Amino acid sequence: MFKTMKRIIRWAGKYQKRLWLGAVFSFFSSFMTAVPTMTAAYALDQAIQAYWRNSRIENTLIWQSLWIIVFSIAFNFLFSYLKAVLQESIGYEVASGQRIHLGDILKRVPLGYFSRNNVGEILTGVTTELSTLELQGMKMVDVIINGYAKFIAILLCFIWFSPAAAFISAAGVILSALALSGISKNSERTAGVTHKSMEAMSSAAIEYIRGLPIVKSFGQEGVSIERFHEASRALKDIHIKIEKGYTPFNCLHLFALKLASMGIVLVCAWQTLQGQISLAYFLMFVLFSFVLFGSVETINEASHTLGVIDSAMDKLESLENVKYIDEDGSDIRPDSCDIVFENVSFGYEAHSTVLKDLNFTIPQNTTTAIVGPSGSGKSTLCNLIARFYDVNSGKITLGGRDLREFTCDSLLKNISMVFQNVYLFRDTIRNNIKFGSPDATEAEIVAAAKAACCHDFIMALPQGYDTIVGESGSSLSGGEKQRISIARAMLKNAPIVILDEATASIDPENEHLIQEAISALTHGKTIIIIAHRLATIEKADQILVIDGGTVAQKGTHEELLRQEGTYRKFIAIREKAEGWRI
Amino acid sequence: MVHQKENWVKILLSFTGSCRGKLGLSVFFAVFSVAGGFIPFWAVYQILRLFIEKNADLNAVLIWCLIGTAGYFIRIVFFGISTILAHISAYTILDNIRSEIADRLMQASLGEVMGRRIGSLKNMIVDKVEEIEPPLAHMIPELTSNLLLPVAIFIWMLCLDWRMGLAVVIAPLLSMIPMGFLMRNFNSQYAAYMDANNRVNSIIVEYIEGIEVVKAFNQSTSSYEKFAEAVQSFKDFTLAWFQGTWKTMNLMTAIMPTTLLGVLPVGLLLAQSGSLSPTELAMCVILSLSIVGPLMKAITFINEAKSMEYAVEAANELLHLPVLSDSGKEIQLTNTDISLEDVTFSYDGTPENQVLHHIHLFMPQGSFTALTGPSGSGKSTVARLISRFWDVTGGFVSIGGKNVKELSIRQLSELISFVTQDNFLFDCSLKENIRLGNPNATDEEVYAAAKAASCDEFISRLEKGYDTSAGDAGKRLSGGEKQRIAIARAILKNAPIVILDEATAFTDPENEDKIQKSIMALSKGKTLLVIAHRLSTIQNADQIVVLDKGKIVDCGKQAELLDRCALYKSMWEAHIGARNWSVGEGKEVVRNV
Repeated sequence: MFKTMKRIIRWAGKYQKRLWLGAVFSFFSSFMTAVPTMTAAYALDQAIQAYWRNSRIENTLIWQSLWIIVFSIAFNFLFSYLKAVLQESIGYEVASGQRIHLGDILKRVPLGYFSRNNVGEILTGVTTELSTLELQGMKMVDVIINGYAKFIAILLCFIWFSPAAAFISAAGVILSALALSGISKNSERTAGVTHKSMEAMSSAAIEYIRGLPIVKSFGQEGVSIERFHEASRALKDIHIKIEKGYTPFNCLHLFALKLASMGIVLVCAWQTLQGQISLAYFLMFVLFSFVLFGSVETINEASHTLGVIDSAMDKLESLENVKYIDEDGSDIRPDSCDIVFENVSFGYEAHSTVLKDLNFTIPQNTTTAIVGPSGSGKSTLCNLIARFYDVNSGKITLGGRDLREFTCDSLLKNISMVFQNVYLFRDTIRNNIKFGSPDATEAEIVAAAKAACCHDFIMALPQGYDTIVGESGSSLSGGEKQRISIARAMLKNAPIVILDEATASIDPENEHLIQEAISALTHGKTIIIIAHRLATIEKADQILVIDGGTVAQKGTHEELLRQEGTYRKFIAIREKAEGWRI
Repeated sequence: MVHQKENWVKILLSFTGSCRGKLGLSVFFAVFSVAGGFIPFWAVYQILRLFIEKNADLNAVLIWCLIGTAGYFIRIVFFGISTILAHISAYTILDNIRSEIADRLMQASLGEVMGRRIGSLKNMIVDKVEEIEPPLAHMIPELTSNLLLPVAIFIWMLCLDWRMGLAVVIAPLLSMIPMGFLMRNFNSQYAAYMDANNRVNSIIVEYIEGIEVVKAFNQSTSSYEKFAEAVQSFKDFTLAWFQGTWKTMNLMTAIMPTTLLGVLPVGLLLAQSGSLSPTELAMCVILSLSIVGPLMKAITFINEAKSMEYAVEAANELLHLPVLSDSGKEIQLTNTDISLEDVTFSYDGTPENQVLHHIHLFMPQGSFTALTGPSGSGKSTVARLISRFWDVTGGFVSIGGKNVKELSIRQLSELISFVTQDNFLFDCSLKENIRLGNPNATDEEVYAAAKAASCDEFISRLEKGYDTSAGDAGKRLSGGEKQRIAIARAILKNAPIVILDEATAFTDPENEDKIQKSIMALSKGKTLLVIAHRLSTIQNADQIVVLDKGKIVDCGKQAELLDRCALYKSMWEAHIGARNWSVGEGKEVVRNV
């Protein structure tokens, strides 16, 4: 608990001072909440004395108590307001800074990070859990600091008047703390289990939704729904089991505190009987015994939330500690755009190699086509050039400089990419194109759109360039999205163009336009293209045939056709496929 | 849903189902726990009385202390029982909600479900529903007891002296003034807050999903204006809202629990006039102190109830997805002619947004029909209307002369094999994935179907062959291979109607011949409807239907269309041209095919 609290305080960073100052006001404010109780004890004592003396209660006493309570409310309000001003905004200010910072980090970690780690988990970390931290973090710190501060203050007060009562209350809190530690041990142990069944639930849900069209069209509803029910039930059972383990500890913790407050009443009563403390103090202690441990109880409730915060901080921390891929990079402007692979080997995981010992050169201003069966490592090769990953051995150079000497920014300045899976942001078409060059003028954007054969269909949309991509009513076809992504790449105007040629669902008349768009994009550039179409391949300056992670063949179309090997076979199949009939 | 917004508490209670008894018990024990909680106050009051009446001795004090402790014990034990029961109920409710959503998704029209992002559906079913639990489980026992206790105490004090009863509510009533200010626009502000929060989070999600693009194009995060802007505006909004509430909020929390504000002066006044004895005064002070905790807790539930309301309403939206009507009747069909008569369709049912206009189309049993046309022409929609992803807005679709709505959903699904480019595999063995096509098929039949779909060779290459789990194999299978498994599944199903919706789009060129073979095996002797991009693949169709902007432009054989349909001709030429284009040059070369 204290560990988490320390982490939150560290998280508050430059706002720490405000946090502490806020805690001071918070303490004053809770002192003010104790004032009415003390007043009541005093007034009650006076009333009893008067009763014993058979005299009337003084008017002034009534007025005094009223005013004291009114003032205590006023001061309580003042202090808690000051606390709010100092403390409560901290979470939002830190979190907003952190979101921006995280955006930066995510961009600079190797892509492998996202496949190695469950993307869903990263997402909940930076969304839901960061939100919890933002919302609850400061409150929790306040609850804990203040809870203990209040308790210690009262304890000190007790030591002065009645060491025995102090001892009992300390014992009660320690006992309850033991129960609390039982809770946190328990929850540490079960956190993993819960997490697992949550994951199982998630994947069951995803599978259920993904498979819905299939089970429906095959009339097999039972199979997949059964799995879903099972996961849901399992999750329920786990949760209930955990709750059953948790509740006894929680009751124990509460009971320890209640026992202590009863003990205080007993001890103080005994001391009063002995004449060691006056009736006035006795009254005060008895009244306080009801509220004394209230703050400790709140702490317990906070421990639930603290668990969530802790796991959120774990995730955020592990995210912030990821090594940037370009940590040692510097800003380099390459002299040429020659790309050279020297003995390059690479695997996404340590034990499996995707690319083995690649050697080839892509000279500036030439077109290189990469062909090969699916899964042979074509896209991987392109990802290495953009340094989404680092090679395991060997090196890739651009203009004679190892890619690892570059920062990502300085490297990617030279590269435009068109991906096979087009990704457009849920933003206006204009902003999606502008993404290629944030400083582009409107005229430049339109020019890029025209060159990529987008302008006409964009203008045909009711909102034109302000159409939001992906919103209902503006469903763009695959081909149209592809062309927008080409316009984006075009606007960037980088000397190297990497194209993962989409064989995807493109309508015939669009296919033609896309190819026009690509031609505009690639004019006078160094081009690396993962090619599927025969015609694309034939005209390339160089063809790399990748098979099984190695360069199986290398040369021009004519050269390769003369050789026995993968390429000839590939072309034969390809030609047959083009004449496809049902 | 907007028209008849049900109360969310009612919705929630409708899910209690099997656990209604437990829920009731939970409340019952919570009340017991509250009752037990009175005992310590009573005990302390007795002790004070002994002191005031000056006949206190250790024995009497000890006994009352023990009674008080017993009271606490009762309170806590019953609280524990109530909590556990409440949690069981809460989790059962979650389970019920999830199951209900799952069922509803199954019954809803496919079009409706597929129009949503899988991620957001999952988020609702798993995460959003989970959010309901903490407030739900805690509210049942705690809110009951936290509301009951103050009410009971109020009544108790009314009985002692009606003036004290009124005095105790002075502070809570006063605090209603700032609370009124606070709640004035709470609902709208909370809604705006949720919106802003969702927006910032969805932008982060988008950012991560598109990280490749972000990496390839974006120089710094701040240049992704939308991201920075959303983060900033979320912060500004929440801070502005919260800052606006600090004064009223803190004023309220300062006043509300200070019940002594009324009780002490009024009590002293009454004691002064002799209508209240000092012991009774002590009692009143103790009782008014005991209200403080529960009152404060009740306040915190305002926020939690709000967040629960949102989660319940999100779930409720899914629970009210329109359901496809099911006649449940098996009708004997004499043939599998498919006919569309005067079919119009719009997603929202309004004539303004019509995507298909007055489609007439007849596909005789055993024929091969191809649908083609520019993107957005409505090809896929036609195919999906036949298998009732949605119901038509006007006109009707019939199979074998019977309106598809008259057939049971089961019978319709048995009639049609619908193969799409979505080649999802379930997380079970490949064999079972294929067997989904026909659960009664023997292993031999499964292998035969796999062979017919040219799956056999790559499956037997896997170590565990047909028993390889799709999850393990998933990473090693190419899109084309998964596609062939999906086709094997359809072959095994052996339905008389086969619809291929852009089924061959994502395949690898070197697999194309195999896919072609497997599709031939699938469609032999069937009524076949194909939506294809590559016109060369459909040139032998019995009829090619050319759609544009939701209307049938022309229909005929390839040669006829090339002759008389300008749109088809231009598409064909574009297709031929595209196949002979190259990167370096940028000019198209039209060749003969």
